[in-house]
Amino acid sequence: MSADSTDLSLDSQGARWEVLKKDTERKPHQAVGSVHAADPEHALLMARTVFARRPAAVSMWVAPASRIHTFTLQELEDLPADEPADPSAEPRAYLVVVKTSNKRSMTFGDLMGEVEGRTVRQALDAALQSLEGQPVLALWLVEKDSVVRSDPELADPWFGPALDKTYKQQSVYSSRATAKKDATEGVPR
Amino acid sequence: MSADTADRPTLAAEVSAALAERLTALADDELVLGHRNAEWTGHAPLLEEDIAIANVAQDEIGHAVLWYGLLQDLTGQDPDRLAFFRHADGFRTSVLVERPRGDWAFTMLRQFLFDSYEAELMPRLMRSSYAPLSEVAAKVNREELFHLRHSALWLERLAHGTDESRRRLEDALAVLWPLMPQLLRPLPGDELLSREGIYPDAGELAAAVMARVSRELEAVGLALPPAAARELPPRTERLDDQLAHLLAEMQSVARADPEAESW
Repeated sequence: MSADSTDLSLDSQGARWEVLKKDTERKPHQAVGSVHAADPEHALLMARTVFARRPAAVSMWVAPASRIHTFTLQELEDLPADEPADPSAEPRAYLVVVKTSNKRSMTFGDLMGEVEGRTVRQALDAALQSLEGQPVLALWLVEKDSVVRSDPELADPWFGPALDKTYKQQSVYSSRATAKKDATEGVPR
Repeated sequence: MSADTADRPTLAAEVSAALAERLTALADDELVLGHRNAEWTGHAPLLEEDIAIANVAQDEIGHAVLWYGLLQDLTGQDPDRLAFFRHADGFRTSVLVERPRGDWAFTMLRQFLFDSYEAELMPRLMRSSYAPLSEVAAKVNREELFHLRHSALWLERLAHGTDESRRRLEDALAVLWPLMPQLLRPLPGDELLSREGIYPDAGELAAAVMARVSRELEAVGLALPPAAARELPPRTERLDDQLAHLLAEMQSVARADPEAESW
């Protein structure tokens, strides 16, 4: 996924933003999907709308896809040589999001920590080192200063109401099976 | 849904009748606005906004269910009968919510005006002497914070967007602004409710709402249109047949099979 190749034109759907959602205080932020939006505040509102209407959430972050550096397992095994770092450049902070399992899941990856690097490659090396021994199927480096976070003070109005809305659960809508027995008899299978 | 009967204060017949009228107006506005917003489902300008407007619609209809629930506790009227089998003449809606959905600017500006009205009304209702009303108001208020954030976001972006978005917003304001006084006009029984501490003073509420929306609209550089040339009919009468058209569609499924157990 290169930086801008999947961004739709700005005049129609807006840029693409990846959404990281934290379900409970004990869980990490997890990559749950993307939204299109015009700007950071709009992206956060759309993320809440799309990803927090049914399930529980305590926090939500968005980051523009163009500020996320992504690596598949294959790319990690065959990395090109690093570009020389500008020694005067300040190290940049990145959030490390990792997909560790192919188990069926509603999420793509978990937030595993934070690293710094003068180049993306330096940050990647630091991330891989910190993950020593853990399976890495895909890895994101999210430029930390691009992340927009939900306001902890507003967690209740943002995420609270969804908990009461049992009518939004699929399981509420059971169908009534009233087919008559004799209607199915004698039907060849 | 309905408050425990044991906790419900006993009201004098006159007060109870006035409260029933006010609850009907509260519920009807939410139901009809919810339905108008639901007309966007599948047609909103962005996929994410399609989900967002459907969410807002569902929330408003959910609030209507809460107000109808209080009404049912008071009068025994069945919310489903009120929503799906009542004639337009029996509704107590404001003209603001009856208007067709228009374009996105119209829908978002109307939502902003209604959200602003509720942002002033709910904190006042939370102090109501009638406990069931204050409890429901607290629940509604929590969701309205997000609605207002969403509609205010669009107001700002449409105002500062393109020439076209600004023109559409101004066109919407020219239609909606003259409808505000009718939204805020008290029902005949409201004064009694206010004396009982059940419902806020209509004049004070209207001033607070108008001050809030005027400030916000002027902050995004919109000029406030002139007031309505003529006074609109009260909520007990219909200005035109827009609500009747809406009900013809909204009630068609229920009316097609009134005996159905579920649909």
